[in-house]
Amino acid sequence: MKVTIKSWNGVATWRWLANDDTCGICRLAFDGCCPDCRIPGDECPLVWGQCSHCFHIHCIMKWLNSQQVSQQCPMCRQEWKFRE
Amino acid sequence: MDKGQSTFEDQWPSMRPIILKLLQQEPVTQNEWHEIFYSVHVVCLWDERGPPKVKDALKDDIMDFIKRAQQRVLSHQEDQALLKAYIAEWRKFFTQCDYLPTPFRQLETSLAGKTISSVNKKPQNEESIVRKLMLDSWNQSIFNDIKQRLQDSAMKLVHAERNGEAFDSQLVIGVRESYVNLCSNTEDKLQIYRENFERAYIEATESFYKVKAPQYLQANGVQNYMRYADSKLREEELRAQKYLEPCSGSVQVLTECCVNVLVSAFRITILSECAEMIKNYETEKLQLMFKLMDRVPGGIALMLKDLEDHIINAGLADMVASADVITQDSEKYVERLLSLFNQFSALVRLAFNDDPRFLTARDKAYKQVVNDTTVFRLELPTKQCGGVKSQPESKCPELLANYCDMLLRKTPLSKRLTSDQIESKLKDVLLVLKYVQNKDVFMRFHKAHLTRRLILDTSADSEKEENMVEWLREVGMPADYVNKLARMFQDIKVSEDLNQQFKEEYRTSKDSINIKILNAGAWARGSERVTVSLPLELEDYIPEVEDFYKKKHSGRKLQWYHHMSNGTITFSNDVGRFDVDVTTFQMAVLFAWNQRPADKISYENLRLATELPDPELRRTLWSLVAFPKLKRQVVLFAPEVQSPKDFNENTVFWINQEFALVKNGKTQKRGKINLIGRLQLSTERSKEEDNESIVQLRILRVQEAIIKILKMRKRINNAQLQSELIDILKNMFLPSKKMIKEQIEWLIEHKYMRRDEDDINTFIYMA
Repeated sequence: MKVTIKSWNGVATWRWLANDDTCGICRLAFDGCCPDCRIPGDECPLVWGQCSHCFHIHCIMKWLNSQQVSQQCPMCRQEWKFRE
Repeated sequence: MDKGQSTFEDQWPSMRPIILKLLQQEPVTQNEWHEIFYSVHVVCLWDERGPPKVKDALKDDIMDFIKRAQQRVLSHQEDQALLKAYIAEWRKFFTQCDYLPTPFRQLETSLAGKTISSVNKKPQNEESIVRKLMLDSWNQSIFNDIKQRLQDSAMKLVHAERNGEAFDSQLVIGVRESYVNLCSNTEDKLQIYRENFERAYIEATESFYKVKAPQYLQANGVQNYMRYADSKLREEELRAQKYLEPCSGSVQVLTECCVNVLVSAFRITILSECAEMIKNYETEKLQLMFKLMDRVPGGIALMLKDLEDHIINAGLADMVASADVITQDSEKYVERLLSLFNQFSALVRLAFNDDPRFLTARDKAYKQVVNDTTVFRLELPTKQCGGVKSQPESKCPELLANYCDMLLRKTPLSKRLTSDQIESKLKDVLLVLKYVQNKDVFMRFHKAHLTRRLILDTSADSEKEENMVEWLREVGMPADYVNKLARMFQDIKVSEDLNQQFKEEYRTSKDSINIKILNAGAWARGSERVTVSLPLELEDYIPEVEDFYKKKHSGRKLQWYHHMSNGTITFSNDVGRFDVDVTTFQMAVLFAWNQRPADKISYENLRLATELPDPELRRTLWSLVAFPKLKRQVVLFAPEVQSPKDFNENTVFWINQEFALVKNGKTQKRGKINLIGRLQLSTERSKEEDNESIVQLRILRVQEAIIKILKMRKRINNAQLQSELIDILKNMFLPSKKMIKEQIEWLIEHKYMRRDEDDINTFIYMA
């Protein structure tokens, strides 16, 4: 008797690799999306700052645009730089 | 002109003969006609006291003429002759009412003390004094004297007509016309007509049917009577249009009277046969009854009630009678439900012309049939301890979802049907779904089925799949639910592209490997992780996929759902080679024998080898030792047990070296078999939580909706809150009163809201 694999369909789900469960700005889950979007996923991605904090991209852009003086991370007040 | 010749006394002798001629409708020469104009003019111009004198003299002559006419009329004794004579006289007189006043126009202005110049401005339709004089005189003398006789004669004729005798309808019409035209009351021109003719006509009609109708009913029974009443109503309406003054509202008054005496009076008797007719689908008779009862205020209320009762009783009786079949077979169940629906709809269409009130009654009753729990129920557990039994719910949504699955998946059913047939059946499902109260249960099952079809790639028609999503949106399924479904299709497409890229990048022998990477938010049902020791070649391969994905999408991590993944293995033994579709768990178990094909392995050792959690291993083993469709199982075991629960750690399992497919009693050497069955989407543990999670989700939805309403209204009373709540939630489920109450209490306790101090039935939002 011998068993060999002919084909395999693997199933996986993806989640954001964030250090927190919720976005520090909108307080909604990273697994969901920001308040302005309807469907989570590629259209509402997360971004990381060099300070290692992460947010929905829509949330942090809104925040940065509202800051007139300097661009700071809302969590740690360090200067906000996108992590490449 | 000589003033001496211009007085009334001078002129009247020459005027009078012409006036008499006119009254008698004798020919008048043009000269005579001019003469009269002239004379009236002269008298009005020169004789100050002339005009009243002319009027009085005219009146005497008119009276005189009328008296003679009356004698002529009254000389007839027989009704028809009398009417005929009267109408002839009246017609003649009435014609003269148009001619005779013309020469006296100036008289009228003089009497009114106006100048000649205003004559032309006088509106044509205004009743002239002479005309009024003529009509009033007729009214006072002849009409008042013989009015009763006229009326009685006319009614006698109508009565005779009702009994089937023919006569000249002009006689009655003529009488009516004289009634209408005689009235000189400008406020209400129909006064005389209404007070005399109309009233007499209606009274005569009423008393006629008061006698006839009960006799007919007694002699012929309800069903014939309905036909009688209907035809009489139509007949009387036509007759009324003929004999009663049009545009006076008389016809309506008469019709109302007929409805009263013909229908309303026997309402109870007629309606008592309704239920039986509905039961026997006697649509023609019902249509007649509907037509009659619709004229009676509140008449159809009882019919609606009978219809509802019938639908509920017949629907449930049908369900109970075929309980054996339909509880087993969702196709039969849905088809049964649909055929009932069509049957009821046909009844409403044929008997009641799809009248909205009957459609509403049908919907109300059908809803009750669909959501009934006598035949089968879905037990939803409640979390509260203390033995509080939850309300059982209809299993309908689950069966509807199963039926949808059968239509959308590659099944014997979907293969047998044409694309159009499938489409119309799906639409049927949506139709029934409209009546389902707990739509959230349907959504859950439908999504589970869709997940299986997408993961196992067993959709019969992907276009239809996506259409179905849109149809669900159209019938009002919650947007977030429908969006998730749409998202699932999107994930499958994205995964296909991803596989393509992956294969290009790792140009090895990975053709046979396919990965589906899904959005956890749209697909996941609980995030538990099941450990399993994969066959080595798969185990090596996992990190490659993860690396590849990380490069594509930074900031994401993959979580494997091995309980959903699956594959095809080639199983070869002494008999032959077989391609077997298996779940990854089954694969893991079978690979345990790859190095030691002839060994008997204990349960405990299989657990160590596969690393599967106990419930999953039991279930997987059971699927290999007791797969329902197989005559020879892949794996054998000892000692014999009846259920997977009874395996113990010393139960031993071994590969069936004789395994083969058996077709028509013959052993096959090659073949393909699917051992996946119904792909488990969740683990044993989470399956138990499944029904509970429906309840949990409902609780959250109720809380969410209450807060949503309160946020908007700030304060709201209990009744209004309940109705708005049901409105928000009705596309998902119907919240029970108890659940609403409990959640309100919970929200008050947690300070989301409070009761008003003065009125405990009013709630106030607390920010």
